[in-house]
Amino acid sequence: MNVDLMLTIEALQNQESQHGIHAVVLDAIRKYGFERFIISGLPDRGMDVRPFVLLSGWDDEWYRRYTNLGYVDVDPVARNCFATTLPFDWSAAPYDRAEDFSARRVMDEARDFGMDEGLCVPVHLEGGMQGVVSLVGRTDWLDEKQRLELHMLALYAHGRLRFLNTMDRTPVRRLITPREAEVLKWVAVGKTASEIADITGLSFRTVNQHCENAQRRLGTNNRLHTVVEAIRQKLIVL
Amino acid sequence: MQVHIIRAPVSGDNPRLLEENYRLRHKIFVDLQGWNDLRRPDGRDIDDFDNADATHILVTDGEELVGGSRITPLNRPNLLQTVFHGLVLGDLPADPSLGADWTRFYVRPDRREGRRRAPESAALFCAMMEYALAEGFTFITFVSSLSMVEHGTSVGWRITPLGAPVLVDGKATVAAWIEVSEQALYNVRRATGMSHALIPASALRRGQGEALTA
Repeated sequence: MNVDLMLTIEALQNQESQHGIHAVVLDAIRKYGFERFIISGLPDRGMDVRPFVLLSGWDDEWYRRYTNLGYVDVDPVARNCFATTLPFDWSAAPYDRAEDFSARRVMDEARDFGMDEGLCVPVHLEGGMQGVVSLVGRTDWLDEKQRLELHMLALYAHGRLRFLNTMDRTPVRRLITPREAEVLKWVAVGKTASEIADITGLSFRTVNQHCENAQRRLGTNNRLHTVVEAIRQKLIVL
Repeated sequence: MQVHIIRAPVSGDNPRLLEENYRLRHKIFVDLQGWNDLRRPDGRDIDDFDNADATHILVTDGEELVGGSRITPLNRPNLLQTVFHGLVLGDLPADPSLGADWTRFYVRPDRREGRRRAPESAALFCAMMEYALAEGFTFITFVSSLSMVEHGTSVGWRITPLGAPVLVDGKATVAAWIEVSEQALYNVRRATGMSHALIPASALRRGQGEALTA
């Protein structure tokens, strides 16, 4: 297994921001000869694509033009994502060059912005929703192994971005943090704070702090009450 | 919607559910997805791993079965190390007894529509992680089309490939493992908006369920 690829995959999953993902993806795709990319959902026809864009590494001017003029509806590369599951070269996206004037305009203008070749990775989501990771650069020298690696890398980046997005949007439902839950699980099986410190590698003080924080969040009176409440509310699984 | 944990010995209403599960699996994996090696004249998808070691996580809505999944041990004969062994190049992250293989994930096709994450699939993801934690597993393996990598990371799971992706019947396919942790359960619940536990405590103690009904 490609060591660089494994490191990239790990790095992607460690990122906590769009900015971080951008840096990791850019660094990784450069090794395959790509220079720019965009990661986005594809809306139904006629809808503004901007709210669907997860991360744009495009040239600002092209991005403005593409989104302001609703190019996503006529871009043959974007349309072809609905028709295939495997990554494809932009040049393989079918359209009628003689008849389909708007498709031709998008392709020609992209070329003027230095984006004449690229690789597109369709992302199929549940419920018929569609995403895309599109990489700008030459593709003719890529072999099947490299295409599959880029495919996988693209899906990791897309998934991580979707996760970060839901984290930004949804309020915390759970009353205690995963760390607090872990400490409470050890309390529940009878471990003392110093034993828990040994097991988890946390300091004695931190263990107590986690218990007190959980107690405050749950509005309980003591450690036993906190554990009982955490179990009752199914915040911890024993 | 209700989650059922079904494993041997199968009793109560569970034989009926399990039977429905085999038929639905045949419809989905053979008829719709074209896994022709699994085709059987009786229209039931049952393989060597639907044995006494298997745990089925099924989701029902009212009387109807709407989704399912199977968990099989990695320290007994399993799909990952037999049929799909070619996809596994690296080592498992820990001893096989600490993990399990997640197979035959499905949501009934008519429940997948509507431009959203199907609640059935959210329930199966959450229930799988809940189950894995409760059983003390530290990792869960799977073999799937690459899109599973996207779906898993989108709910905040850490996923590590066990080998390079390869084309199988024209589909990009990969073997990988998912880290089991409190954080993984927290993330999947938060990403899917699941506010509560799905698996009844009585389903998690082997044999105890039987004792209660005896």
